[in-house]
Amino acid sequence: MPSVTTTWLIFSTSFQERFAYRTAFFLWRFRQIIATIMSLTVWTVLFSNQTSLFEYSQNEMITYIFLVSVLQSIILTSALHNLAGDVYSGKISTLLLKPIALFSYLSIYEASDKALNFFFIFAEALVLYVIFQPIFMLPSLFELALFLVWLAAGTVIHFFITLLFGAIGFWSPDIWGPKFIFFMILDFTAGKLFPLDILPPFFQTVLYFTPFPYLSYAQTQLFLGRFDTTQIVLQSIGLLFWVLALGFAAKYVWKKSLKEYAAAGQ
Amino acid sequence: MKLTTYFTIWIKLAINSVQETFINRATSALFFTGKAIRFAMMLLFLLLLRTQLDTIGTYTTDNLVVFYLTYYFVDLFGQMLYRGVYQFGQKVRTGEFDFYLLKPISPLFQSLAGKPDINDALFLLPSILTSIFITLQLSISFTWAGIFWFSLLFINSVLIMTGLHILVLAIAIRTVDVDGIIWLYRDISKLSQFPVSIYFEPLRTMLFFIVPVGFMVTIPAEILIGNIPTFSLATTFSVGTLFLASSYIAWKQSLKHYTSASS
Repeated sequence: MPSVTTTWLIFSTSFQERFAYRTAFFLWRFRQIIATIMSLTVWTVLFSNQTSLFEYSQNEMITYIFLVSVLQSIILTSALHNLAGDVYSGKISTLLLKPIALFSYLSIYEASDKALNFFFIFAEALVLYVIFQPIFMLPSLFELALFLVWLAAGTVIHFFITLLFGAIGFWSPDIWGPKFIFFMILDFTAGKLFPLDILPPFFQTVLYFTPFPYLSYAQTQLFLGRFDTTQIVLQSIGLLFWVLALGFAAKYVWKKSLKEYAAAGQ
Repeated sequence: MKLTTYFTIWIKLAINSVQETFINRATSALFFTGKAIRFAMMLLFLLLLRTQLDTIGTYTTDNLVVFYLTYYFVDLFGQMLYRGVYQFGQKVRTGEFDFYLLKPISPLFQSLAGKPDINDALFLLPSILTSIFITLQLSISFTWAGIFWFSLLFINSVLIMTGLHILVLAIAIRTVDVDGIIWLYRDISKLSQFPVSIYFEPLRTMLFFIVPVGFMVTIPAEILIGNIPTFSLATTFSVGTLFLASSYIAWKQSLKHYTSASS
Protein backbone atom coordinates (compact mmCIF):
# COMPACT_ATOMS: atom_id res chain seq x y z
CA MET A 1 0.00 0.00 0.00
CA PRO A 2 1.40 3.44 -0.91
CA SER A 3 1.76 6.01 1.89
CA VAL A 4 -0.78 8.79 2.35
CA THR A 5 1.69 11.36 1.01
CA THR A 6 2.37 9.30 -2.13
CA THR A 7 -1.33 8.72 -2.66
CA TRP A 8 -2.08 12.42 -2.28
CA LEU A 9 0.73 13.41 -4.66
CA ILE A 10 -0.49 11.05 -7.41
CA PHE A 11 -4.08 12.08 -6.78
CA SER A 12 -3.42 15.83 -6.98
CA THR A 13 -1.06 15.55 -9.97
CA SER A 14 -3.67 13.55 -11.88
CA PHE A 15 -6.29 16.12 -10.91
CA GLN A 16 -4.15 18.93 -12.32
CA GLU A 17 -3.47 16.91 -15.46
CA ARG A 18 -7.21 16.78 -16.19
CA PHE A 19 -7.42 20.56 -15.85
CA ALA A 20 -4.67 20.98 -18.43
CA TYR A 21 -7.26 19.95 -21.05
CA ARG A 22 -10.21 21.93 -19.76
CA THR A 23 -12.11 22.30 -23.04
CA ALA A 24 -11.94 18.58 -23.74
CA PHE A 25 -13.16 17.87 -20.20
CA PHE A 26 -16.05 20.33 -20.40
CA LEU A 27 -17.08 18.91 -23.77
CA TRP A 28 -17.05 15.42 -22.25
CA ARG A 29 -19.30 16.53 -19.39
CA PHE A 30 -21.59 18.38 -21.81
CA ARG A 31 -21.96 15.22 -23.88
CA GLN A 32 -23.04 13.30 -20.78
CA ILE A 33 -25.81 15.84 -20.13
CA ILE A 34 -27.07 15.64 -23.72
CA ALA A 35 -27.63 11.88 -23.48
CA THR A 36 -29.47 12.31 -20.17
CA ILE A 37 -31.66 15.11 -21.54
CA MET A 38 -32.66 12.86 -24.43
CA SER A 39 -33.69 9.99 -22.16
CA LEU A 40 -35.53 12.24 -19.69
CA THR A 41 -37.40 14.12 -22.45
CA VAL A 42 -38.38 10.95 -24.29
CA TRP A 43 -39.80 9.37 -21.14
CA THR A 44 -41.59 12.60 -20.16
CA VAL A 45 -43.28 12.61 -23.58
CA LEU A 46 -44.01 8.88 -23.43
CA PHE A 47 -45.89 9.43 -20.18
CA SER A 48 -47.85 12.41 -21.51
CA ASN A 49 -50.93 10.23 -22.22
CA GLN A 50 -50.17 7.43 -19.71
CA THR A 51 -50.00 7.01 -15.97
CA SER A 52 -48.09 3.72 -16.08
CA LEU A 53 -45.70 2.10 -18.56
CA PHE A 54 -43.82 -1.18 -18.15
CA GLU A 55 -45.00 -1.15 -14.50
CA TYR A 56 -43.31 2.20 -13.86
CA SER A 57 -45.09 5.40 -12.93
CA GLN A 58 -43.84 8.62 -14.54
CA ASN A 59 -42.14 9.70 -11.30
CA GLU A 60 -40.44 6.34 -10.92
CA MET A 61 -39.16 6.35 -14.49
CA ILE A 62 -37.91 9.96 -14.43
CA THR A 63 -36.21 9.34 -11.09
CA TYR A 64 -34.73 6.10 -12.45
CA ILE A 65 -33.23 7.82 -15.54
CA PHE A 66 -32.00 10.73 -13.41
CA LEU A 67 -30.32 8.45 -10.87
CA VAL A 68 -28.83 6.07 -13.41
CA SER A 69 -27.28 9.03 -15.24
CA VAL A 70 -25.68 10.30 -12.06
CA LEU A 71 -24.42 6.82 -11.16
CA GLN A 72 -23.00 6.18 -14.62
CA SER A 73 -21.08 9.45 -14.36
CA ILE A 74 -19.41 7.98 -11.28
CA ILE A 75 -19.10 4.30 -12.20
CA LEU A 76 -18.32 4.47 -15.92
CA THR A 77 -15.99 7.47 -16.14
CA SER A 78 -12.39 6.45 -16.55
CA ALA A 79 -9.04 8.09 -17.16
CA LEU A 80 -7.63 4.79 -18.42
CA HIS A 81 -9.34 4.55 -21.82
CA ASN A 82 -5.98 4.72 -23.55
CA LEU A 83 -4.30 2.18 -21.28
CA ALA A 84 -3.97 -0.41 -24.08
CA GLY A 85 -2.37 2.23 -26.31
CA ASP A 86 0.10 3.11 -23.55
CA VAL A 87 0.93 -0.58 -23.13
CA TYR A 88 1.38 -1.19 -26.85
CA SER A 89 3.50 1.93 -27.38
CA GLY A 90 5.66 1.08 -24.36
CA LYS A 91 4.64 4.20 -22.39
CA ILE A 92 3.68 1.94 -19.51
CA SER A 93 7.41 1.28 -18.89
CA THR A 94 7.67 4.62 -17.07
CA LEU A 95 5.01 3.50 -14.62
CA LEU A 96 6.64 0.11 -14.11
CA LEU A 97 9.85 1.82 -13.03
CA LYS A 98 8.13 3.83 -10.29
CA PRO A 99 8.48 2.63 -6.68
CA ILE A 100 4.76 1.90 -6.41
CA ALA A 101 2.71 -1.11 -7.49
CA LEU A 102 1.18 -0.53 -10.92
CA PHE A 103 -2.38 -1.40 -9.84
CA SER A 104 -2.12 0.99 -6.86
CA TYR A 105 -0.94 3.79 -9.13
CA LEU A 106 -3.71 3.18 -11.66
CA SER A 107 -6.33 2.98 -8.89
CA ILE A 108 -5.33 6.37 -7.47
CA TYR A 109 -5.18 7.84 -10.98
CA GLU A 110 -8.67 6.53 -11.68
CA ALA A 111 -10.02 7.72 -8.31
CA SER A 112 -8.72 11.22 -9.05
CA ASP A 113 -10.62 11.28 -12.34
CA LYS A 114 -13.79 10.11 -10.65
CA ALA A 115 -13.43 12.79 -7.97
CA LEU A 116 -13.21 15.49 -10.63
CA ASN A 117 -16.22 14.13 -12.48
CA PHE A 118 -18.12 13.83 -9.21
CA PHE A 119 -17.61 17.54 -8.59
CA PHE A 120 -19.24 18.41 -11.93
CA ILE A 121 -22.03 15.86 -11.55
CA PHE A 122 -23.47 17.92 -8.69
CA ALA A 123 -23.82 21.02 -10.86
CA GLU A 124 -25.25 19.03 -13.78
CA ALA A 125 -27.65 17.12 -11.56
CA LEU A 126 -28.94 20.41 -10.16
CA VAL A 127 -29.70 21.73 -13.67
CA LEU A 128 -31.45 18.48 -14.66
CA TYR A 129 -33.33 18.44 -11.35
CA VAL A 130 -34.72 21.93 -11.99
CA ILE A 131 -35.82 20.99 -15.53
CA PHE A 132 -37.31 17.54 -14.91
CA GLN A 133 -38.07 17.66 -11.16
CA PRO A 134 -37.70 13.99 -10.23
CA ILE A 135 -39.23 13.02 -6.89
CA PHE A 136 -36.92 11.10 -4.57
CA MET A 137 -38.07 8.77 -1.85
CA LEU A 138 -35.01 8.12 0.27
CA PRO A 139 -34.50 4.41 1.02
CA SER A 140 -34.05 3.03 4.54
CA LEU A 141 -30.70 3.53 6.26
CA PHE A 142 -29.77 -0.12 5.62
CA GLU A 143 -30.62 0.16 1.92
CA LEU A 144 -28.74 3.45 1.68
CA ALA A 145 -25.64 1.86 3.25
CA LEU A 146 -25.96 -1.15 0.94
CA PHE A 147 -26.44 1.20 -2.01
CA LEU A 148 -23.10 2.86 -1.25
CA VAL A 149 -21.42 -0.55 -1.03
CA TRP A 150 -22.97 -1.59 -4.37
CA LEU A 151 -21.89 1.72 -5.89
CA ALA A 152 -18.32 1.07 -4.78
CA ALA A 153 -18.53 -2.51 -6.09
CA GLY A 154 -19.84 -1.30 -9.47
CA THR A 155 -16.94 1.16 -9.69
CA VAL A 156 -14.46 -1.61 -8.89
CA ILE A 157 -16.03 -3.93 -11.51
CA HIS A 158 -15.65 -1.23 -14.16
CA PHE A 159 -12.05 -0.59 -13.09
CA PHE A 160 -11.19 -4.29 -13.51
CA ILE A 161 -12.91 -4.39 -16.92
CA THR A 162 -10.85 -1.34 -17.96
CA LEU A 163 -7.66 -3.13 -16.82
CA LEU A 164 -8.60 -6.21 -18.84
CA PHE A 165 -9.14 -4.08 -21.95
CA GLY A 166 -5.82 -2.39 -21.23
CA ALA A 167 -4.09 -5.77 -21.20
CA ILE A 168 -5.08 -6.31 -24.84
CA GLY A 169 -2.33 -3.78 -25.61
CA PHE A 170 0.28 -6.40 -24.63
CA TRP A 171 -0.75 -8.50 -27.63
CA SER A 172 -2.41 -6.27 -30.19
CA PRO A 173 -2.83 -2.62 -31.18
CA ASP A 174 -6.43 -3.34 -32.24
CA ILE A 175 -8.19 -2.45 -29.01
CA TRP A 176 -11.13 -0.52 -30.50
CA GLY A 177 -12.98 -3.55 -31.88
CA PRO A 178 -13.59 -5.25 -28.50
CA LYS A 179 -14.11 -1.89 -26.78
CA PHE A 180 -16.68 -0.85 -29.37
CA ILE A 181 -18.73 -3.97 -28.71
CA PHE A 182 -18.44 -3.42 -24.95
CA PHE A 183 -19.67 0.17 -25.23
CA MET A 184 -22.49 -0.78 -27.59
CA ILE A 185 -23.77 -3.41 -25.17
CA LEU A 186 -23.19 -1.10 -22.20
CA ASP A 187 -25.15 1.66 -23.92
CA PHE A 188 -28.33 -0.38 -23.70
CA THR A 189 -27.73 -2.77 -20.83
CA ALA A 190 -26.52 -0.39 -18.15
CA GLY A 191 -29.94 1.15 -18.54
CA LYS A 192 -29.54 4.84 -19.41
CA LEU A 193 -32.24 4.89 -22.10
CA PHE A 194 -34.51 2.32 -20.47
CA PRO A 195 -34.44 0.05 -17.42
CA LEU A 196 -33.53 -3.57 -18.11
CA ASP A 197 -36.72 -4.93 -16.60
CA ILE A 198 -38.75 -3.68 -19.56
CA LEU A 199 -36.91 -6.19 -21.77
CA PRO A 200 -38.36 -9.66 -22.42
CA PRO A 201 -37.49 -12.13 -19.58
CA PHE A 202 -35.08 -14.09 -21.82
CA PHE A 203 -32.90 -11.01 -22.40
CA GLN A 204 -32.92 -10.18 -18.69
CA THR A 205 -31.85 -13.70 -17.75
CA VAL A 206 -28.98 -13.63 -20.25
CA LEU A 207 -27.87 -10.17 -19.10
CA TYR A 208 -27.74 -11.25 -15.45
CA PHE A 209 -24.99 -13.69 -16.45
CA THR A 210 -22.89 -10.66 -17.44
CA PRO A 211 -21.52 -7.79 -15.32
CA PHE A 212 -23.51 -5.16 -17.27
CA PRO A 213 -26.53 -4.86 -14.92
CA TYR A 214 -24.12 -4.14 -12.05
CA LEU A 215 -22.75 -1.03 -13.75
CA SER A 216 -25.59 1.22 -12.52
CA TYR A 217 -28.90 -0.58 -13.18
CA ALA A 218 -28.90 -2.75 -10.03
CA GLN A 219 -27.76 0.15 -7.80
CA THR A 220 -30.55 2.39 -9.07
CA GLN A 221 -33.21 -0.28 -8.58
CA LEU A 222 -32.00 -0.78 -5.00
CA PHE A 223 -32.19 2.96 -4.31
CA LEU A 224 -35.73 3.08 -5.73
CA GLY A 225 -36.77 0.17 -3.51
CA ARG A 226 -37.73 -2.04 -6.45
CA PHE A 227 -35.85 -5.10 -5.14
CA ASP A 228 -37.31 -7.44 -2.51
CA THR A 229 -35.10 -9.16 0.08
CA THR A 230 -34.44 -12.22 -2.10
CA GLN A 231 -33.43 -10.03 -5.04
CA ILE A 232 -31.16 -7.94 -2.80
CA VAL A 233 -29.38 -11.09 -1.61
CA LEU A 234 -29.06 -12.47 -5.17
CA GLN A 235 -27.79 -9.16 -6.55
CA SER A 236 -25.29 -8.85 -3.70
CA ILE A 237 -23.97 -12.34 -4.52
CA GLY A 238 -23.81 -11.39 -8.21
CA LEU A 239 -21.86 -8.21 -7.44
CA LEU A 240 -19.45 -10.04 -5.15
CA PHE A 241 -18.92 -12.73 -7.76
CA TRP A 242 -18.06 -10.22 -10.50
CA VAL A 243 -15.76 -8.21 -8.23
CA LEU A 244 -13.83 -11.37 -7.33
CA ALA A 245 -13.92 -12.96 -10.80
CA LEU A 246 -12.89 -9.84 -12.70
CA GLY A 247 -10.34 -8.88 -10.02
CA PHE A 248 -8.74 -12.32 -10.25
CA ALA A 249 -8.86 -12.25 -14.06
CA ALA A 250 -7.28 -8.78 -14.24
CA LYS A 251 -4.51 -9.73 -11.82
CA TYR A 252 -3.80 -13.01 -13.62
CA VAL A 253 -3.82 -11.52 -17.12
CA TRP A 254 -1.57 -8.59 -16.15
CA LYS A 255 0.86 -10.87 -14.30
CA LYS A 256 1.15 -13.19 -17.31
CA SER A 257 1.34 -10.29 -19.76
CA LEU A 258 4.02 -8.40 -17.86
CA LYS A 259 6.23 -11.52 -17.96
CA GLU A 260 6.06 -11.34 -21.78
CA TYR A 261 6.39 -7.55 -21.92
CA ALA A 262 9.46 -6.41 -23.84
CA ALA A 263 8.94 -2.62 -23.61
CA ALA A 264 8.92 -2.43 -27.39
CA GLY A 265 8.92 1.11 -28.71
CA GLN A 266 10.83 2.54 -25.74
CA MET B 1 -9.69 19.66 -61.19
CA LYS B 2 -12.57 17.75 -62.78
CA LEU B 3 -15.23 16.00 -60.77
CA THR B 4 -14.38 12.70 -62.51
CA THR B 5 -10.78 12.99 -61.23
CA TYR B 6 -12.05 13.38 -57.68
CA PHE B 7 -14.34 10.41 -58.18
CA THR B 8 -11.38 8.30 -59.43
CA ILE B 9 -9.33 9.35 -56.39
CA TRP B 10 -12.20 8.52 -54.06
CA ILE B 11 -12.58 5.08 -55.64
CA LYS B 12 -8.86 4.43 -55.03
CA LEU B 13 -9.24 5.57 -51.41
CA ALA B 14 -12.25 3.30 -51.02
CA ILE B 15 -10.29 0.33 -52.42
CA ASN B 16 -7.49 1.06 -49.91
CA SER B 17 -10.09 1.13 -47.17
CA VAL B 18 -11.49 -2.24 -48.31
CA GLN B 19 -7.99 -3.74 -48.19
CA GLU B 20 -7.44 -2.27 -44.72
CA THR B 21 -10.75 -3.76 -43.58
CA PHE B 22 -9.75 -7.21 -44.80
CA ILE B 23 -6.32 -6.99 -43.12
CA ASN B 24 -8.00 -6.32 -39.75
CA ARG B 25 -10.71 -8.92 -40.26
CA ALA B 26 -11.31 -9.67 -36.58
CA THR B 27 -11.59 -5.98 -35.64
CA SER B 28 -13.88 -5.33 -38.59
CA ALA B 29 -16.09 -8.26 -37.56
CA LEU B 30 -16.31 -6.81 -34.03
CA PHE B 31 -17.27 -3.37 -35.35
CA PHE B 32 -19.85 -4.99 -37.59
CA THR B 33 -21.31 -6.91 -34.65
CA GLY B 34 -21.32 -3.80 -32.47
CA LYS B 35 -23.23 -1.82 -35.08
CA ALA B 36 -25.72 -4.68 -35.45
CA ILE B 37 -26.26 -4.74 -31.66
CA ARG B 38 -26.88 -0.98 -31.56
CA PHE B 39 -29.33 -1.15 -34.46
CA ALA B 40 -31.16 -4.18 -33.05
CA MET B 41 -31.40 -2.88 -29.47
CA MET B 42 -32.86 0.47 -30.49
CA LEU B 43 -35.40 -1.24 -32.72
CA LEU B 44 -36.22 -3.64 -29.91
CA PHE B 45 -36.87 -0.70 -27.59
CA LEU B 46 -39.18 0.94 -30.15
CA LEU B 47 -41.01 -2.32 -30.77
CA LEU B 48 -41.44 -2.79 -27.00
CA LEU B 49 -42.96 0.69 -26.83
CA ARG B 50 -45.34 -0.40 -29.59
CA THR B 51 -46.68 -3.13 -27.31
CA GLN B 52 -47.53 -0.59 -24.59
CA LEU B 53 -48.51 2.58 -26.41
CA ASP B 54 -50.47 3.70 -29.45
CA THR B 55 -49.66 7.39 -29.51
CA ILE B 56 -46.84 9.51 -28.14
CA GLY B 57 -47.84 13.15 -28.16
CA THR B 58 -48.90 13.80 -31.75
CA TYR B 59 -47.04 10.76 -33.10
CA THR B 60 -47.80 7.05 -33.21
CA THR B 61 -45.24 4.47 -32.09
CA ASP B 62 -44.91 3.42 -35.74
CA ASN B 63 -43.98 7.01 -36.59
CA LEU B 64 -41.15 6.79 -34.05
CA VAL B 65 -39.69 3.81 -35.95
CA VAL B 66 -39.58 5.94 -39.13
CA PHE B 67 -37.88 8.79 -37.25
CA TYR B 68 -35.26 6.40 -35.90
CA LEU B 69 -34.62 4.75 -39.28
CA THR B 70 -34.24 8.16 -40.96
CA TYR B 71 -31.73 9.20 -38.30
CA TYR B 72 -29.97 5.88 -38.65
CA PHE B 73 -29.42 6.12 -42.41
CA VAL B 74 -28.34 9.77 -42.39
CA ASP B 75 -25.88 8.95 -39.59
CA LEU B 76 -24.66 5.82 -41.39
CA PHE B 77 -23.99 7.81 -44.58
CA GLY B 78 -22.05 10.37 -42.53
CA GLN B 79 -19.82 7.73 -41.01
CA MET B 80 -19.40 5.87 -44.28
CA LEU B 81 -18.33 8.93 -46.28
CA TYR B 82 -16.61 11.14 -43.72
CA ARG B 83 -14.77 8.84 -41.29
CA GLY B 84 -11.57 10.83 -41.99
CA VAL B 85 -12.98 13.71 -39.94
CA TYR B 86 -12.56 11.63 -36.76
CA GLN B 87 -8.77 11.62 -37.22
CA PHE B 88 -8.42 15.18 -38.42
CA GLY B 89 -7.53 16.73 -35.04
CA GLN B 90 -4.49 14.45 -34.82
CA LYS B 91 -3.41 15.40 -38.36
CA VAL B 92 -3.45 19.08 -37.40
CA ARG B 93 -1.55 18.40 -34.18
CA THR B 94 1.16 16.29 -35.80
CA GLY B 95 1.51 18.56 -38.84
CA GLU B 96 0.41 15.82 -41.25
CA PHE B 97 -2.18 18.26 -42.56
CA ASP B 98 0.70 20.16 -44.25
CA PHE B 99 0.97 17.31 -46.76
CA TYR B 100 -2.71 17.72 -47.63
CA LEU B 101 -2.06 21.37 -48.44
CA LEU B 102 0.85 20.52 -50.73
CA LYS B 103 -1.08 18.07 -52.92
CA PRO B 104 -2.92 19.25 -56.07
CA ILE B 105 -6.20 18.03 -54.60
CA SER B 106 -8.56 20.05 -52.43
CA PRO B 107 -7.43 19.73 -48.76
CA LEU B 108 -11.11 19.79 -47.81
CA PHE B 109 -11.78 16.75 -49.99
CA GLN B 110 -8.81 14.90 -48.49
CA SER B 111 -9.78 15.76 -44.90
CA LEU B 112 -13.46 15.04 -45.38
CA ALA B 113 -13.57 12.03 -47.70
CA GLY B 114 -10.01 10.75 -47.46
CA LYS B 115 -10.93 7.71 -45.40
CA PRO B 116 -14.27 6.16 -46.33
CA ASP B 117 -15.46 3.58 -43.82
CA ILE B 118 -16.14 0.35 -45.65
CA ASN B 119 -17.43 -1.29 -42.47
CA ASP B 120 -20.39 1.06 -42.60
CA ALA B 121 -20.82 0.45 -46.33
CA LEU B 122 -20.92 -3.30 -45.67
CA PHE B 123 -23.55 -2.72 -43.02
CA LEU B 124 -25.67 -0.64 -45.37
CA LEU B 125 -27.19 -3.55 -47.32
CA PRO B 126 -28.39 -5.66 -44.34
CA SER B 127 -29.72 -2.57 -42.58
CA ILE B 128 -31.62 -1.46 -45.72
CA LEU B 129 -33.17 -4.92 -46.07
CA THR B 130 -34.08 -5.04 -42.36
CA SER B 131 -35.54 -1.54 -42.52
CA ILE B 132 -37.67 -2.37 -45.57
CA PHE B 133 -38.98 -5.46 -43.79
CA ILE B 134 -39.77 -3.49 -40.61
CA THR B 135 -41.32 -0.59 -42.53
CA LEU B 136 -43.67 -2.98 -44.35
CA GLN B 137 -44.97 -4.17 -40.95
CA LEU B 138 -45.86 -0.63 -39.82
CA SER B 139 -49.39 0.76 -39.92
CA ILE B 140 -48.39 3.74 -42.02
CA SER B 141 -49.63 4.29 -45.55
CA PHE B 142 -46.73 5.69 -47.53
CA THR B 143 -47.51 7.68 -50.70
CA TRP B 144 -45.38 7.99 -53.84
CA ALA B 145 -45.37 11.77 -53.40
CA GLY B 146 -44.12 11.30 -49.82
CA ILE B 147 -41.37 8.93 -50.96
CA PHE B 148 -40.37 11.37 -53.75
CA TRP B 149 -40.09 14.35 -51.38
CA PHE B 150 -38.37 12.20 -48.77
CA SER B 151 -35.73 11.24 -51.37
CA LEU B 152 -35.09 14.90 -52.21
CA LEU B 153 -35.01 15.81 -48.51
CA PHE B 154 -32.59 12.95 -47.84
CA ILE B 155 -30.18 14.54 -50.34
CA ASN B 156 -30.69 17.82 -48.47
CA SER B 157 -29.92 15.94 -45.22
CA VAL B 158 -26.65 14.69 -46.70
CA LEU B 159 -25.81 18.33 -47.56
CA ILE B 160 -26.52 19.43 -43.97
CA MET B 161 -24.52 16.50 -42.61
CA THR B 162 -21.64 17.42 -44.94
CA GLY B 163 -21.85 21.00 -43.69
CA LEU B 164 -21.70 19.81 -40.08
CA HIS B 165 -18.60 17.72 -40.80
CA ILE B 166 -16.93 20.67 -42.58
CA LEU B 167 -17.70 22.82 -39.56
CA VAL B 168 -16.04 20.24 -37.30
CA LEU B 169 -12.93 20.37 -39.51
CA ALA B 170 -12.92 24.18 -39.38
CA ILE B 171 -13.16 24.14 -35.57
CA ALA B 172 -10.40 21.51 -35.35
CA ILE B 173 -8.01 23.79 -37.26
CA ARG B 174 -8.72 26.67 -34.90
CA THR B 175 -8.72 24.79 -31.60
CA VAL B 176 -6.10 22.08 -32.37
CA ASP B 177 -6.42 20.12 -29.12
CA VAL B 178 -10.16 19.45 -29.16
CA ASP B 179 -11.03 15.96 -30.36
CA GLY B 180 -14.39 15.93 -28.67
CA ILE B 181 -16.10 18.18 -31.25
CA ILE B 182 -16.99 15.35 -33.64
CA TRP B 183 -18.29 13.24 -30.77
CA LEU B 184 -20.26 16.23 -29.52
CA TYR B 185 -21.86 16.46 -32.97
CA ARG B 186 -22.64 12.72 -32.85
CA ASP B 187 -24.27 13.07 -29.42
CA ILE B 188 -26.30 16.10 -30.48
CA SER B 189 -27.42 14.35 -33.66
CA LYS B 190 -28.53 11.37 -31.52
CA LEU B 191 -31.22 13.66 -30.12
CA SER B 192 -32.86 13.44 -33.55
CA GLN B 193 -33.46 9.70 -33.10
CA PHE B 194 -36.76 11.02 -31.77
CA PRO B 195 -38.75 13.90 -33.33
CA VAL B 196 -36.97 17.13 -32.44
CA SER B 197 -40.32 18.80 -31.75
CA ILE B 198 -40.63 16.83 -28.47
CA TYR B 199 -37.74 18.74 -26.85
CA PHE B 200 -38.25 21.81 -24.67
CA GLU B 201 -37.35 25.34 -25.74
CA PRO B 202 -34.74 26.71 -26.41
CA LEU B 203 -33.25 23.26 -27.13
CA ARG B 204 -35.81 22.62 -29.89
CA THR B 205 -34.95 25.86 -31.74
CA MET B 206 -31.24 25.14 -31.33
CA LEU B 207 -31.73 21.71 -32.90
CA PHE B 208 -33.31 23.36 -35.92
CA PHE B 209 -31.20 26.47 -36.35
CA ILE B 210 -27.85 26.08 -34.55
CA VAL B 211 -27.05 22.40 -35.16
CA PRO B 212 -29.78 21.75 -37.75
CA VAL B 213 -30.36 18.06 -37.06
CA GLY B 214 -34.09 18.82 -36.99
CA PHE B 215 -33.99 19.75 -40.68
CA MET B 216 -31.67 16.81 -41.30
CA VAL B 217 -33.88 14.08 -39.79
CA THR B 218 -37.21 15.27 -38.38
CA ILE B 219 -38.54 17.08 -41.48
CA PRO B 220 -37.82 14.24 -43.98
CA ALA B 221 -39.38 11.72 -41.58
CA GLU B 222 -42.45 13.94 -41.06
CA ILE B 223 -42.93 14.15 -44.83
CA LEU B 224 -42.56 10.38 -45.24
CA ILE B 225 -45.20 9.56 -42.62
CA GLY B 226 -47.57 12.11 -44.14
CA ASN B 227 -47.51 14.68 -41.29
CA ILE B 228 -47.46 18.42 -41.85
CA PRO B 229 -43.76 19.31 -41.45
CA THR B 230 -42.68 21.56 -38.58
CA PHE B 231 -41.08 23.90 -41.14
CA SER B 232 -41.88 24.30 -44.85
CA LEU B 233 -39.92 22.43 -47.51
CA ALA B 234 -38.65 25.76 -48.89
CA THR B 235 -37.20 26.61 -45.46
CA THR B 236 -35.68 23.12 -45.17
CA PHE B 237 -33.95 23.27 -48.56
CA SER B 238 -32.80 26.85 -47.90
CA VAL B 239 -31.32 25.89 -44.52
CA GLY B 240 -29.53 22.91 -46.16
CA THR B 241 -27.95 25.06 -48.87
CA LEU B 242 -27.12 28.00 -46.60
CA PHE B 243 -25.65 25.77 -43.91
CA LEU B 244 -23.37 24.00 -46.38
CA ALA B 245 -22.29 27.34 -47.88
CA SER B 246 -21.59 28.94 -44.50
CA SER B 247 -19.65 25.86 -43.34
CA TYR B 248 -17.51 26.12 -46.47
CA ILE B 249 -16.83 29.81 -45.73
CA ALA B 250 -15.92 28.87 -42.14
CA TRP B 251 -13.48 26.25 -43.50
CA LYS B 252 -11.87 28.81 -45.83
CA GLN B 253 -11.51 31.26 -42.95
CA SER B 254 -10.00 28.60 -40.70
CA LEU B 255 -7.42 27.72 -43.35
CA LYS B 256 -6.20 31.31 -43.21
CA HIS B 257 -5.52 30.82 -39.50
CA TYR B 258 -3.66 27.53 -39.91
CA THR B 259 -0.15 28.10 -38.59
CA SER B 260 1.39 24.70 -39.26
CA ALA B 261 2.78 25.00 -35.73
CA SER B 262 3.41 21.28 -35.25
CA SER B 263 5.54 20.66 -38.30
